[in-house]
Amino acid sequence: MTDTTKADSPVALADEAEPETQSTGKRAWRRFLRNGGAVVGTAILLFWFIIAPVSPWIVPYDPIDTVGLARQPPSAEFWFGTDTLGRDVFSRVLVGSQISLQLGLISIALGLVPGVALGLIAGYVGGVTDAILSRLVDAMLAFPSILLALVIIAALGPNLRNVMIAVGIGTVPLYARLVRGSVLSIKQLPYVEAARVLGNPPLRIMLRHVLANAYAPIVVLSTLQVGHAILIGSGLSFLGLGAQPPTPEWGLMSAEGRDVLRRAWWISTFPGIAILSVVVACNLVGDGLRSALDPRMRIDR
Amino acid sequence: MGRYIANRIIQLIPVLFLISVIIFGVLHALPGDPAELILQGAEGGAPPERLQELRQAMGLNDPLLVQYLRFLGGALIGDLGESMRFRTPVSGLILDRLGFTIELAVSGLLMALLIGVPLGMVAAVRQNSWIDTAAMGLAYVGASMPVFWFGLVLILLFSFTYPWFPPAGAEGLQALVLPAFTLGFVSAGPISRLVRSSMIEVLGEDYIRTSRAKGLTERLVLWRHGFRNALIPVVTMVGLIFGGMLAGAVVTETVFSRPGLGRLVVSAILSKDYPLVQGCVLFLAVLYLIVNLLVDILYAWLDPRIRYGK
Repeated sequence: MTDTTKADSPVALADEAEPETQSTGKRAWRRFLRNGGAVVGTAILLFWFIIAPVSPWIVPYDPIDTVGLARQPPSAEFWFGTDTLGRDVFSRVLVGSQISLQLGLISIALGLVPGVALGLIAGYVGGVTDAILSRLVDAMLAFPSILLALVIIAALGPNLRNVMIAVGIGTVPLYARLVRGSVLSIKQLPYVEAARVLGNPPLRIMLRHVLANAYAPIVVLSTLQVGHAILIGSGLSFLGLGAQPPTPEWGLMSAEGRDVLRRAWWISTFPGIAILSVVVACNLVGDGLRSALDPRMRIDR
Repeated sequence: MGRYIANRIIQLIPVLFLISVIIFGVLHALPGDPAELILQGAEGGAPPERLQELRQAMGLNDPLLVQYLRFLGGALIGDLGESMRFRTPVSGLILDRLGFTIELAVSGLLMALLIGVPLGMVAAVRQNSWIDTAAMGLAYVGASMPVFWFGLVLILLFSFTYPWFPPAGAEGLQALVLPAFTLGFVSAGPISRLVRSSMIEVLGEDYIRTSRAKGLTERLVLWRHGFRNALIPVVTMVGLIFGGMLAGAVVTETVFSRPGLGRLVVSAILSKDYPLVQGCVLFLAVLYLIVNLLVDILYAWLDPRIRYGK
């Protein structure tokens, strides 16, 4: 993707002045590191990705068990206070990172795989197939994805797994549209033509030559969508449509603190800050990747 | 203009059809059996004869196509079936609550514009200064904020710490302020970014240089020539933002205990009231499409290039 846009982009021309010895990947990496926001975002994400897998062993208390009196304010003993059942909010927030990261990653994977496949097929095969698939994608994009998510949860029942499915399906059309667009432009390039002339089978061309060169926008979209999925997923859990008690899910924890907000602000507040930190981080990294990988996009910002 | 509008309405028909198929298909073709789900929590479990009875009553024994046609035919004349929990027509339940949701969505949209447009303008005029950074940072945080959490924080600050606004309910303008601000703030981010980039682009145009060269004051240049032209692209975004408003309303109405469509659909899902879920979602989808149609028409009216460009 990067290479194809270089020729006609004024910004990219400026880049040619940089040392020729550097590879495209290295240059993108250096652009990414120069972006302060992206570095901060990476640091926050790294923090959560390190905490999440080890959290059950490092938290001070069992996240599911009553370990003190209910609704105790933050103190040296309970850093984030205790919730309505006397569970330690700090331990619950840390262990909850497992759930939110899983929710983000799994739901995006569920959207990415079929979405990319549909986009590849529509873009590469073209014709009637493309027309039908594009209509379907347009219809899915024509109404807010939250409505689709609500219908899916209504049909499958409210739990965390179904939230992942619902959020994942909502992202399928985004990937399909994105990949189809990339494929249409890459398909015209001489090296794809060459691959075809050499007698490569269509599937091999699609995966080895077309998809391999369309990865940049997919990576960017995925990073941004992980944050979005966590936002939507925690919102659904807050409504009671996702994770069920006693799961330490951040949205659900916020909901549990809602009724005692006046007396115990900490129960809802800390899980919300955790969500905010992850989502901001995903957005910062996503935007950083976009401007590092796709020189065209850098003009906007 | 008339032809453009007619064209856009005709384009809407297949989309509406597909949406009705998607909503119906998901609710009926997925492995869950509504009758079984309903009886799951009921006393005495789900004996086969009761299950059969309920399926018959719900029309679940008919072929799927017959069920769909019944749903579509009803929807076309405004009959969305009967709620299983309330035992009243779904359309009546929706209309009772529609006002609250429209009120919230419109005031949230206004709030989003009131926050987003000035932020974007200021950032553009003071490009690359600390004001720009701060404005864009604020927009960024807003866009990454969970709606429910921001609502709770506002309640904590402006209902409990400073008792200025009621924390719940839908009576009067007072009760609308916090929910509208919640929705507006989280949706202002994309608006301010668009206004900023569009204003920066406009400020680079020849006519801006011309008006500066002929000696107009900077304020006149910015307001008369810059601002007005920079706002046109924002119109296209309003439709999209409205979709976000509907999504946000589902959550916001729960946070602030407002009796709207969003809360209705959530309670319908939790009580497994399938006809109500189906009716609400279809209604919200159609509402969203109509708003987007109106936005497209408005845009075509503002920018004649769209009308004739086709």
